[in-house]
Amino acid sequence: NSPAPLPERAIYGFALFLGSWFGFILYLIWAYVPETWLFSLGLTYWPQKYWAVALPVYLLVAVGIGYILLFGINMMSTAPLNSTHTITDNFAKKQQQKKFQEEAIPALRDIPISEVNRMFFLPEK
Amino acid sequence: MAEEQRFLSASGAPIALRRRQHSASCRELAVRGPRLQLRSLSAATSAVWLAAYGLFALSENSMVLSAAIFITLIGLIIYLHFVKIDQESLLVIGSLGIQVTSSYASGKESTTFIEMGQVKDVVINEAIHMQKVIYYLCILLQDPEDPQGVSEVVPLFQSSKPRLDCLIEMYKSCQEILEQRKTAPQSS
Repeated sequence: NSPAPLPERAIYGFALFLGSWFGFILYLIWAYVPETWLFSLGLTYWPQKYWAVALPVYLLVAVGIGYILLFGINMMSTAPLNSTHTITDNFAKKQQQKKFQEEAIPALRDIPISEVNRMFFLPEK
Repeated sequence: MAEEQRFLSASGAPIALRRRQHSASCRELAVRGPRLQLRSLSAATSAVWLAAYGLFALSENSMVLSAAIFITLIGLIIYLHFVKIDQESLLVIGSLGIQVTSSYASGKESTTFIEMGQVKDVVINEAIHMQKVIYYLCILLQDPEDPQGVSEVVPLFQSSKPRLDCLIEMYKSCQEILEQRKTAPQSS
């Protein structure tokens, strides 16, 4: 799964390039060519030109709201100060106690908050 | 024995911590926040009244002025009675329990008592609050089924939000009382 260039990827890239140019030219024709000219060509069922302006505006407003929405979702999912999620979680509750071996580095575990507090804030004489 | 020390809150406001030792197993910690300042009260009132006068000048409706006076009075009463906490205190009685009291600016006091059997520990926890990470003192309540588990977290001093130096003093005071639980003989 390396990001190196491959022949298939070159073809996909070129197809997307042509497709996006085609889409852009089509959008410009839809927005700028007068309706009467389009009717005379037989293209009578295209959407109203109102949407050629409205859709980009909708998109930009959605992007702006997305910034605020993401910020809001972040604040909502932060645990409140009175929740036990600030102290522990499912993995810490179910962890197994490994036996203490002499002269070996102790196994990694979640240390309870009471112990951490005692170590930090109560000076040992 | 009472002593008062000055500290800063998390937002920079000056707070005062008063520690009293009533007996060997009873301690009281009281944190007093700054009182309502005259200048902030005048600023808020002037802003509301200027806005109301601007609306009156635009709409020529004199009810706007009476409404502004009414709103200022009711708003001040609601603020003093429900929002502005002057003093928060913590009373730790060794064998009995912990009492948390909040005194509002209007004189109202709201109290919570937690008996010692439910208290697992009093710790300094750090958590994300709005855009900051703050330290706060909290009581961990024991889970009845699981001796190692915590059923609930009760945060303390929520409106004065002392900083870590003040919290360490309070933590040490509380731990001196709570340690006596383990060495004291168990009563049936």
